[in-house]
Amino acid sequence: MVLTSTFTPRNFREQSERASHDATLRAVLDHATRYFMGKRGAALEAFADRDTHFARARSARLTALSRLPDLLEQLERSASAAGTKVHWAADAAEGRAIVTGIAKGCGAKVVVKGKSMVTEEIALNPALEATGAEVWETDLGEFIVQLAGEPPSHIIAPCIHKSRADVAALFREKLGLADLSDSASIPELTLLARRALREKFLAADLGVTGVNMAVAESGSVILVENEGNIRMSTTCPPVHVAVMSLEKVVATLEDAADLLRVLPRSATGQKMSSYVSVLTGPRRADELDGAREAHLVILDNGRSEVLADPVLREALLCFRCGACLNSCPVYQTIGGHAYGSVYSGPIGALLSSLLLPAEDTRDLPFGCTMCGACKKTCPLGIDHPNLMLRLRERVCAGKPHFIGAAHAFLASHPLAYRLAVGAARAVDPRLDLLPRLPGLPSGLASFVESRQPPGLKSSFSAQLRAGRKKQGGA
Amino acid sequence: MRIQLMIPCLVEDCLPEIGLAAVSVLERLGCAVDHPQGQTCCGQMAFKTGDVAGARAQALHSLEIFADTGAVVCPSGSCTKMLRTYPQLFEPGTRDHARAVELAGRVSEFCEFVLALPGAPDFGGELKARAALHRSCQLDGSDAPQRLLSAVRGLTLLEPERPERCCGFGGLFSLQFPAVSESLLEDKASELLALDPDLLVSAEPSCLMNISGYLSRNGRMTGPGRALHVAQVLDLALNGALTGGALWS
Ligand code: SF4
Repeated sequence: MVLTSTFTPRNFREQSERASHDATLRAVLDHATRYFMGKRGAALEAFADRDTHFARARSARLTALSRLPDLLEQLERSASAAGTKVHWAADAAEGRAIVTGIAKGCGAKVVVKGKSMVTEEIALNPALEATGAEVWETDLGEFIVQLAGEPPSHIIAPCIHKSRADVAALFREKLGLADLSDSASIPELTLLARRALREKFLAADLGVTGVNMAVAESGSVILVENEGNIRMSTTCPPVHVAVMSLEKVVATLEDAADLLRVLPRSATGQKMSSYVSVLTGPRRADELDGAREAHLVILDNGRSEVLADPVLREALLCFRCGACLNSCPVYQTIGGHAYGSVYSGPIGALLSSLLLPAEDTRDLPFGCTMCGACKKTCPLGIDHPNLMLRLRERVCAGKPHFIGAAHAFLASHPLAYRLAVGAARAVDPRLDLLPRLPGLPSGLASFVESRQPPGLKSSFSAQLRAGRKKQGGA
Repeated sequence: MRIQLMIPCLVEDCLPEIGLAAVSVLERLGCAVDHPQGQTCCGQMAFKTGDVAGARAQALHSLEIFADTGAVVCPSGSCTKMLRTYPQLFEPGTRDHARAVELAGRVSEFCEFVLALPGAPDFGGELKARAALHRSCQLDGSDAPQRLLSAVRGLTLLEPERPERCCGFGGLFSLQFPAVSESLLEDKASELLALDPDLLVSAEPSCLMNISGYLSRNGRMTGPGRALHVAQVLDLALNGALTGGALWS
């Protein structure tokens, strides 16, 4: 994974602390995440046999992971048979080289893109621009963050952190629309973006998209969206490249259908997204539209290693519905950018920890209160808190956190524990000195500053004993 | 019925009132309460900071302390959950694993336990108050606190807009991410206060400490008796007194 902004997961703690002070950001996030959760809740309420469907979706993903190497080979065979050119990319650099190679090969001057996290992951846009091509994000939200020069901040709602007025201001500046008012409606803004993008679609030489699912048995690529721009990116330009991370494969069209029943409901609260495209190979002789040349890039970028871990591989079940982000109180408070990498929220903290260098992601698994809202929300039953704990264990690797270690020692040595607490009680019963003890994290000072600690009192054991003695004596 | 009381370290030294109220309620409901000596901590802190070896050492200690068969009752959802996690810390097939499974099978969170006693949920308690309940994510969705409180005569049970949303504590989280933690806490505190309650109630001591400590620091907690554990509410309702006193003096 490549970092696309000045934010980095290395500074996750500082970035989140800063974000949580940003009142405007919090208000926008609060509104947007409630909106998504509300729509989702209503859709799931009306979803008959919901648990059965969730179980089928989970089972489709489990099948995919347990048979991954076979399914990928099958996918290559069937996609090739349908006329798609299949490429394997071991890492981000290879992925970029393959796509820029295709762009150069077809002399691409204008590239249109459908929303895709995986191309963000490999930082494809700058590489394509370096070939001299113009690159246009065509999803409305992606288009907005592209104009703003920012990375997306949510898996399915890239500009969730922006208000309507932010967008109007951006369009005034970047699209030369000096008269646009801050109170322009969302349909108005959409229309303006659509006008700007329509020309790009018609001029495009190459369309690049991600993949929601790739079907091993048929060699099809499935794309799910609401704006129609992804379909246009695959049909207007003469050449289409679909980029997938390797876990996106599913065995059969039936498995894909099981996932499609759940994905839109969980993501946007829709029974079905407005557009679901199933692309099998390039345009055939008797067909009127579609790309003349179809490519599929299958990217590993660290995933085979994740698959080898019997616990952590569960993170690869994810089909990116984004629901765990919306349900996470931490995400609701800090937004996506604070995570400093492409994937944010609970699943993002997991994926980034697994795919990025360990020394850059030490803090990510700790930015979680273990409340379990994500686990409860995930339609595929991913147990994020458990995976977070596993990652914490990995980060500590024999060097436990200072506080944890001191506490662990004392707690398994009852006498030492009682002595330590007794000493503290004698010296500082209100715990006022606590924040000033050397070696303790500065967070403790903030903690005590904002919360009156209860103080150390005569212990429960002592009071119980005294009470019972009195009773016995009476 | 004889039970062994497991007291969280936070309760032992900082919130003893909760433990004393739990004893009073359990005895009133006919239980003989043992408090095995030598208790320290369930190991949650070590476990959640990634120190599995430390957690295992503490689990072994707890296995010794609670070696006697019979129900173990704990007035904290998160510590109860930790005891139920012990089997995960040991190799299946080993003696310690078997002991951990056995212990996990007989530990109950206080409200769950009380709700399973004969006569539950209406034990005839009465308390005229508006009580705002923080459910606590640590109780894993259990509705035992709501059911117990609803059965108290005169008590109006109020729930905030997002009843299960985290209060922002998260142990080490609140020290490593103090500003984020405080934002969550402010959300929680204002949603609770918006209910205009007489009492703030939770079955989780750490959440209660977090929320009430914040309100107290900011002068928004009026009256020391306002923040109560469910055990303390039941104590008041059944015995008409707060055995052990209020959390805040
Ligand atoms: S982890 Fe689950 S809830 Fe989160 S994005 Fe993936 S599938 Fe959706």
